[in-house]
Amino acid sequence: MATNTAASTPPSLLRRAVIGRDPRRTLARALVLVVSVMVVAKFVLLPIKVEGGSMLPTYQDHRVNLVNRLAYLFHEPRRGDVVAIRLAGPSIMYMKRIVGLPGETVAFHHGHAVINGKILEEPYVKFPCDWERAPVTLAPDQYFVVGDNRNMPIEDHTMGEPHRNRIVGKLLL
Amino acid sequence: MSKRIFRAGLAVALIALGVCAWRIFFPSAEQVIRKRLNEVARTASFSAKEAPLATALNSQKLANFFAPEVEIRVDVPGRWQHTFHGRDEIAQAAASARSLVGGLSVEFLDITVTIAPDRESAEASLTLKARIAGEKDLIVQELKFFLKRIDGTWLIIRVETVKTLS
Repeated sequence: MATNTAASTPPSLLRRAVIGRDPRRTLARALVLVVSVMVVAKFVLLPIKVEGGSMLPTYQDHRVNLVNRLAYLFHEPRRGDVVAIRLAGPSIMYMKRIVGLPGETVAFHHGHAVINGKILEEPYVKFPCDWERAPVTLAPDQYFVVGDNRNMPIEDHTMGEPHRNRIVGKLLL
Repeated sequence: MSKRIFRAGLAVALIALGVCAWRIFFPSAEQVIRKRLNEVARTASFSAKEAPLATALNSQKLANFFAPEVEIRVDVPGRWQHTFHGRDEIAQAAASARSLVGGLSVEFLDITVTIAPDRESAEASLTLKARIAGEKDLIVQELKFFLKRIDGTWLIIRVETVKTLS
C-alpha cells in the first residue's frame, strides 16, 4: 500500500517563508510587484542620482532621489520648486530650483536674485554670492532655474531659461 | 487543447525569431545610425595606455565617421565657442585631445533618430556624457547630429550643441 507522504506532510517553515503555501500564487504576486515597480519607476517616480555640487547644501553629491513626474499634472511649476530638466532624454537631467516664472524679468544683483525689480528671499542659499547678471524677460512658457550653490564664479554655474516641456517633474525628497 | 496551445506558442516564438533575424540581417536606417553613433562614442574614448600608433589610427578612424566637408559648431556660452571644418581638422583635434588628457570616456545617451522623407538624410538628438580621466566633474552636453547617406554609408555632415537651458 502506498501513501502520498508529500501531500500529508506540511511544507517546511523555510520553504513557506520563501515561496509561500501556494508557489503559483507567490509567482503571480512577484510578477505583479515587479511590473508595478517598473511602471512606477518609469512613469511616476523616476529614481535619480545627484552628481555635482550645484545644489549644495540642499542636495549632497552622490545622493539618490526621486523625481515625481505627476507633480505638475494639476498645476504648473511654482517658484522655489526643485525640478528635473531633461536634456535629450531622461537619462541625464539637470536638477535646479525655479526662481523665475513665465513672463517675469530675472536678474542677479550683488548676489541676490531680482525678480521684476524686487529681491527674492531665498533661505535655501547658504553660501556667499556676488553674482551680477543682466535682466532677462521670460517667454510665456519659460522658467528661470538656478542651483542653490552660488559660491562659484557665475560662468561656472549652469543656469538658464528652459521651456516648460523640458521640466520632467519635481524632486520628491 | 494542450497541443493547440503548444502549436500557438511555437508559432509566436518562430515569428519573434524571424522578426529578430530580419532586424539583424536587414537593419533599418535608424538602427544603422544608432549603431554608428555608438561607434563614434567608442572611438572617441581612449585610455592613458593608448600607444602612439593607436592614437593616430583611432583619430583617423574617428574622422572617417564624418563627411569630408563636415562642420562641428561648439557653442557653450561662457565656456567654449569654436567651429571645426573638415575631416582633417577633426583628426587633428582628436589627436591633440589624446595627447593633452590622460583618458576620456564618451557615451551617447537618449539617441533619437529622425529620418527625412527622402531617406537620404537624418537628424539625431542625443546627450553626450563624457568623463576626463582624473577629473571629478562629468561633461554633459545635448547635441544634434545631421547625417547624410553618401555612397551607401551614413556620414555626419554637421554637429551642433543644443542650448538646453535657453
